[in-house]
Amino acid sequence: MSSEPFNNVYLLPQTNQLIGLYTIIRDKNTTRPNFIFYADRIIRLLVEEGLNHLPVQDLTIETDTAEKYEGCSFMGKICGVSIVRAGESMEQGLRDCCRSVRIGKILIQRDEETAQPKLFYEKLPEDIANRYVFLLDPMLATGGSAMMATDVLIKRGVKPERIYFLNLICSKEGIDNYRAQFPDVKIVTGAIDKGLDKNKYLVPGLGDFGDRYYCI
Amino acid sequence: MPQVNHRITPSDTPSGSFYGTSEEGSKIQLNKENVIIENNRAKYLPPWTTPYIIGVAGPSGSGKTSVAAKIVSSINVPWTVLVSLDNFYKPLAPEERLQAFKNEYDFDHPSAIDLDLAYECILSLKEGRKTTIPVYSFIEHNRVPNKSINIYGASVIVLEGIYALYDKRLLDLMDLKIFVDADSDVCLARRLSRDIIHRGRDLQGCIQQWQKFVKPNADKYLSPTMQNSNAIVPSLTDNGVAVDVIINHIKLKLQSKSEDHLKELIRLGSASTMPLGDYKSVHELDATNQVLSINTMLLDKKLKRDDFVFYFDRLASIILTKALDDIPIFEKRDIVTPNGVTVTDSAACNFEQIAAVNLIRSGDCFVHSLKNTVPNISLGKLLIQSDSQTGEPQLHCEFLPSGIEKYDRVLLMEAQIITGAAMIMAIQVLLDHAVSLKKIKVVVYLATELGIRRIINAFHDRVEIFVGTIITRKGIAHSNWAKTRFVDAKYFGCK
Repeated sequence: MSSEPFNNVYLLPQTNQLIGLYTIIRDKNTTRPNFIFYADRIIRLLVEEGLNHLPVQDLTIETDTAEKYEGCSFMGKICGVSIVRAGESMEQGLRDCCRSVRIGKILIQRDEETAQPKLFYEKLPEDIANRYVFLLDPMLATGGSAMMATDVLIKRGVKPERIYFLNLICSKEGIDNYRAQFPDVKIVTGAIDKGLDKNKYLVPGLGDFGDRYYCI
Repeated sequence: MPQVNHRITPSDTPSGSFYGTSEEGSKIQLNKENVIIENNRAKYLPPWTTPYIIGVAGPSGSGKTSVAAKIVSSINVPWTVLVSLDNFYKPLAPEERLQAFKNEYDFDHPSAIDLDLAYECILSLKEGRKTTIPVYSFIEHNRVPNKSINIYGASVIVLEGIYALYDKRLLDLMDLKIFVDADSDVCLARRLSRDIIHRGRDLQGCIQQWQKFVKPNADKYLSPTMQNSNAIVPSLTDNGVAVDVIINHIKLKLQSKSEDHLKELIRLGSASTMPLGDYKSVHELDATNQVLSINTMLLDKKLKRDDFVFYFDRLASIILTKALDDIPIFEKRDIVTPNGVTVTDSAACNFEQIAAVNLIRSGDCFVHSLKNTVPNISLGKLLIQSDSQTGEPQLHCEFLPSGIEKYDRVLLMEAQIITGAAMIMAIQVLLDHAVSLKKIKVVVYLATELGIRRIINAFHDRVEIFVGTIITRKGIAHSNWAKTRFVDAKYFGCK
């Protein structure tokens, strides 16, 4: 079971296996195929953890042996929203659990003039206001772009308590910034790093996730 | 050489082949922990852990081979193995070989046979270990290099040879001792035709050998061993009645052994009353919303196979991940991240140190998810089925990765545990291959409380079990689905 070190922040259980997976993806000598494979494994765990928080309703079904079984079923619709480009790496992990899930996209980039994040593009499901949303972005450093993306979602009518922000690594600083603005959004993560360096990179982090996943 | 029974149905129960094990006389080095467990276990599972051993002796040409073969084909038990003492002829030194080619070497003296090795091999089989038996060439008068027979998991062993009832140590291992008696002129006639036609000898040499060695040795060493036998079979063409009587006797013995086995399994299920939740070795998935919802879908008779496979794979991934959570830390090393930060003593795991073994067919349901978790994992397979009449589990074949005992973890996968018998047998097979108990992780989707308790009790609560859902004793009353093997049937789309 995950722990909840801060309110609404869910941390995957820190098992030998998970720590070992992080050692692989943090190491700069890890080859790209291995980086992708092991990052995908962590993403899958984050998705499963996120899905566990979704509500269910009672359901009685009939088994092959013609007996009644009192179980439950998923309630409510979900969708994924990835922050282009690194967040898209997490879409497959979501699809591996929810095959035909709708996925929206948001592109946010740093405005060279103001050095602030700027929204360039958004494409979201029409009925997103009625859905649970998995916001996908692998790294939460300062939280700038994640906060802007969350803002977009809320403006489209999504309830903050129905947003789950999935990331592989975050910083305490990022969590604090983000929660100050969105206390009801749930963060699901696998690692909380020491902090940020002067360039606002996570320490120790794992470098640029998008570059490692998509490029060299 | 193993005879495979046709009276089998898929089921989850381990076989009687009875891999008992003790620390002595073994070719496989067991570690300390295994030995302790073995000793504990010996108290638990006595009767069915050893194969039934039958010795068939008699003079050369008496027809003991055909009597032995008839027994093997008539008792109709899987893994009945016929072992000939001929395989244990001692290899000859060069000068002895020259004598042999001149028919001057005494093959009919008991000392021509390596009875020490024969004893070691039969003892090893009796203890349920994988055993290697040499192959002897009568043309070369030597063991055939690089050629041997591997036997593992025999339920019945028929040891056939002139001196099968000669060595006291071998006699002590046998459950039934048969002597095939024959007139010496009948023996000579049979021997001549066999040696000349099948073994490439000449007539004069054969006669010379008969007079010089065979006859005197038979009188001196062989005839007295008739006293060691429980039954003497006449070597007439029509010895059918005698052989039938013996076969019926063997069948009765095997039946009571199989009943003992089944009784032992029943006892294992009720040996302890501690609540299942109190066992630290049993890890059931938390009943989260996801797990409950997926279970509901998988049990729904209306769920399409396509969805069944998809959701089973998902749940399988969750269970497998949990079974690997405590994978040992392989090393702690310093790593450098791409932005130049050094992480000291970062814990690393070695996923290549994991092997898996699945029980055909239900364990195969895990393979897809397993490959997505550890892509190049070494994967072994075991086929264990139950006799449709007795329900007794039987091992039919085993393919295990070589050096399986060297891996850090061995996942043993089965989709459903109902009686637990197949899983107990599978664990025992791994123990017999020197895998230590603490490395074995049982991975199962659906299990009955009874099955889980049997495994706990059979192995002294020393094997960890990772299970999706356990159906309790109370729950089983209105959960007949948990007693049917629906998972692999639906996953693979054929009953």
